[in-house]
Amino acid sequence: MNKLYSNKFHIIVFLLPALLLFCGVLIAPIVMSAYYSFFDWNGIGAKTFIGFANYKELFSSNAIGFMKALRNSLLLAALSVFLQLPLALALALALGKGIKGERAFLSIYFMPVLISTVVIGQLWLKIYNPDYGILNVFLRAIGRDDLTRIWLGKRETALGAVFVPTLWQYVGYHMLLLYAGVKSVPTELREAAMLDGASDAKVNRYIVLPYIKPIIRISVIFAITGSLKSFDLIYVLTNGGPFHSTEVPSTLMISMLFLRNRYGMGSTIAVMLIILCFAFALLINAIFREED
Amino acid sequence: MKKVLATLMAAALAVSMTACAVPAPAASAPAAAPAEEAAAEAPAAPAAEGETTLTMWCIATESDANRPAYEQAIAEYEATHPGIKIEWEAFENQSYKTKIKAAMSDPDSLPDIFFTWAGAFLGDFVDAGNVYCLDDTYKAFADQLPEVMMQNASYGGSHYGVPLTMNIVTLFANMDLLAEAGWDHVPETYEDLTACCDALVEKGITPFGCAGKETWCVTEYLEPIIEKTIGYEALNEVFAGRATWNDEGIAASVSTFQDMINKGYFDPNGMALGNDEVKANFIAGKYAFYQNGSWNCGEVNDAEGNFQVALFPVMDSSKATYGQVIGGPSDTLAVAGSSKNAELAANAAFEIGRGICHYGYLAGSGLPAWTPDYDTSEVKKLVADVAEIVANSEGMTLFGDTAMSADPANTYLDYVSQVYGCEIDGQGFIEGLANDLQ
Amino acid sequence: MKNSKAIRTVIYVGLVLWALINLFPVYWMFTFSLKDNEEIFGANVAGLPRHWLWSNYTSALNTGHMAKYFLNSIIVAVITIMITLAVALMATFALTRLIWKQRRRLNRFFMLGLTIPIHASIVPVYVTLSRLHLLNTYAALIVPYAAFSLSMAILVCTGFMNEIPRELDEAACMDGCNVWGIFFRIIVPLMKPAVATVGIYTFLQCWNELMFANIFISKTSLKTLPVGIQALSGQYTTAWGPIGAALVLGTFPTLIVYVFLSKRIQESFIAGAIKG
Repeated sequence: MNKLYSNKFHIIVFLLPALLLFCGVLIAPIVMSAYYSFFDWNGIGAKTFIGFANYKELFSSNAIGFMKALRNSLLLAALSVFLQLPLALALALALGKGIKGERAFLSIYFMPVLISTVVIGQLWLKIYNPDYGILNVFLRAIGRDDLTRIWLGKRETALGAVFVPTLWQYVGYHMLLLYAGVKSVPTELREAAMLDGASDAKVNRYIVLPYIKPIIRISVIFAITGSLKSFDLIYVLTNGGPFHSTEVPSTLMISMLFLRNRYGMGSTIAVMLIILCFAFALLINAIFREED
Repeated sequence: MKKVLATLMAAALAVSMTACAVPAPAASAPAAAPAEEAAAEAPAAPAAEGETTLTMWCIATESDANRPAYEQAIAEYEATHPGIKIEWEAFENQSYKTKIKAAMSDPDSLPDIFFTWAGAFLGDFVDAGNVYCLDDTYKAFADQLPEVMMQNASYGGSHYGVPLTMNIVTLFANMDLLAEAGWDHVPETYEDLTACCDALVEKGITPFGCAGKETWCVTEYLEPIIEKTIGYEALNEVFAGRATWNDEGIAASVSTFQDMINKGYFDPNGMALGNDEVKANFIAGKYAFYQNGSWNCGEVNDAEGNFQVALFPVMDSSKATYGQVIGGPSDTLAVAGSSKNAELAANAAFEIGRGICHYGYLAGSGLPAWTPDYDTSEVKKLVADVAEIVANSEGMTLFGDTAMSADPANTYLDYVSQVYGCEIDGQGFIEGLANDLQ
Repeated sequence: MKNSKAIRTVIYVGLVLWALINLFPVYWMFTFSLKDNEEIFGANVAGLPRHWLWSNYTSALNTGHMAKYFLNSIIVAVITIMITLAVALMATFALTRLIWKQRRRLNRFFMLGLTIPIHASIVPVYVTLSRLHLLNTYAALIVPYAAFSLSMAILVCTGFMNEIPRELDEAACMDGCNVWGIFFRIIVPLMKPAVATVGIYTFLQCWNELMFANIFISKTSLKTLPVGIQALSGQYTTAWGPIGAALVLGTFPTLIVYVFLSKRIQESFIAGAIKG
């Protein structure tokens, strides 16, 4: 069989479709973006080669504010790992143990993932509306008028207000991944620990968590790369405003590409995003390997 | 490079289609669907002999106020030009901007006629050589379309766009609310305006609403104040980059605007709202004034209540007069340089543009850029009033973000939004812009 | 024992609360699709509609061509899922079964796709599609969507395929099967659980995608649902009720299908998790 499986022709035939699709649609445009990032170009007319000037400007210019955008998305990544994932994990553990209505809960928690971001965005715009939004109406109803805010219109609150729905929408996604892991823990392991008199918390701590570590690793990678790439919801809610306080690299990239006609600079941001995502994926893998 | 890539992708597609036997039956299902659609849209089917098809892209989607005007104008054109068929598609405003810019990266994918905004937006496409020059075709229409209306779409002395409607910044006033504060007319001096606003605030009525989420709405307030302080000629020079932003008059205008904000004349919640919400608030009687484009005339006119239109009062009478306005023709049709029937398309652009202007004017979605040669007695009252204001105007400045090219325009909008949020003062505004827009 | 019962109740209440938070958008979307602008913009934001405006649905269906867009979205999604599956299964077979030197490295290369933001490649992909005369065809969306789903699909399939015992291959080989025979008769049938997992990932990827769909398609007869929903909101005037109806039409079928299939989807997710 080894001879059969080492046949070069077969290897090529099986890989070719994937390689063509992948290189043609993903890799080649990225290579082109990397090339464009060395030009001053509006995307239509003539290009001027400017070397690393775009990269220099990106990291030094306050007007572009790339560092701030990057800080925002790193903060989102941190919140995603330390708030969203623990919540998803808690839900997964609670459901994974077997509880009445387990399936119903599971389906309901996954719903926000299935709803289009445009819809989720519109919903939260209505929740945050300063006049009649449910949040302010609720605060007034409990007599805490002092806590009402123009949530999406003020520098101090906008970032937090954008992060809440972004984190909320994908709790169900991570929950389902982790739940799947929890369910896959062999019953014998669980029962043996229970017989030894271990509490639920102890079973979770010493049996379940170590068992689902590979899934947690995947979740962490998705959470971080997803945060770095996050775009849709922020675009709908604030489009980076007010005063760039909710800007993330993707919104910056789109505004450079299609609003400001700075195609070279937009490509530079795209390249930086990919490098960052990839670096983080490697870093997380390294951290988890260290732990083993 | 591109050729290699193209071949790769074609091969990828071919392989992935044939490599797997399973998708075959499913793949035939969609093939059947378009056939059905083609049957349903018989006129869209391949043209009969001698028939020419012109393609056109615009932003008059099904829910757009301008939609009926487009439909009528195109039907009229097809009726008077047998053998020519217009195949047109409408896209949502924001995504259209992305779409048309992407299409410019391969001119062969452009339609024959496309909607565009005049000024720098079209200018970039003209610079790239992707737009057909309309000078020859224009001659036949010159007596119906004043040359001054062509100016915003003219580059290097040549014309590249057919204007549809023109619009100016208009101060809409809710006369019922003004009456509650003891005013029976729209204030025409700044002193009167502040007195009126103070009276409104006292009555618990918010004088103005302005959408902070869409910065162009803020410019609809700031630009008239600047114009009424330094005069339209000076503002034109600044927008064109021939004069510096570092102008004390502009700083003073910013202070005036921020004074009004600090005195509570503006709904503080506006910062987080979009224009749709602010307009809905105004029409529902939540604000006494709403300053925005004259394309809202039809909608405000048809709303319940007693509304009037006016202009922002003069700040410095030594430099500006009441009749100076912000605006001009911006909605434009252009013809792709790559069009196979460019000459025909150019003629169609003029004729359709004239029709859209005609029916749009009657519907109240804009003022005519073309000289009306039809009965205008049916024009809505507010539209007629604004038309009167324009007819008597004493000078005009194009919207700042249309006049400037994309990158500086967005820098400018950044600063304007900071002004509205009182993040910077007048000095910060003029020095920052003078510095960043060198 | 009492203590643990209390904890159980607290957990249960927490779960129910979280469920309500997650159900709210569905409720809100449904009610808002039956209101007029006045109610949506303030008079009655979260309550039941005062007048049930079913006409919003007729206008969404009539003026918005929603049925056509829905059909297009389904066609694009189904073919994308099939191509993604076919290509990913073949690639995974080569990456996990076939014997050659660089396969680990190539696997990592494919994982690079997980890090690429979809918006970064719009213009180069546009130009390529245009040169190939693929703009304004279903392929203009299917090819990029399949490409962007590929990395995830390979990741999931690798987990499943590694679980299939190699003895099966050996046995088939003994019986005289060639590589294709092993792939189609042994591996593919055993990969059924992967189909749901890859399917749902791919579906999520392409069902709500707006940027590509807007730029690569210019014919009404080929537009997809997100573009249609966007198009319903015009330049200066926007009636929100019909938009809400369009949102419901675009979302509810997915939700309903999900609710019916949730058991199978969850099971395959579980299977995928053990192996992924």
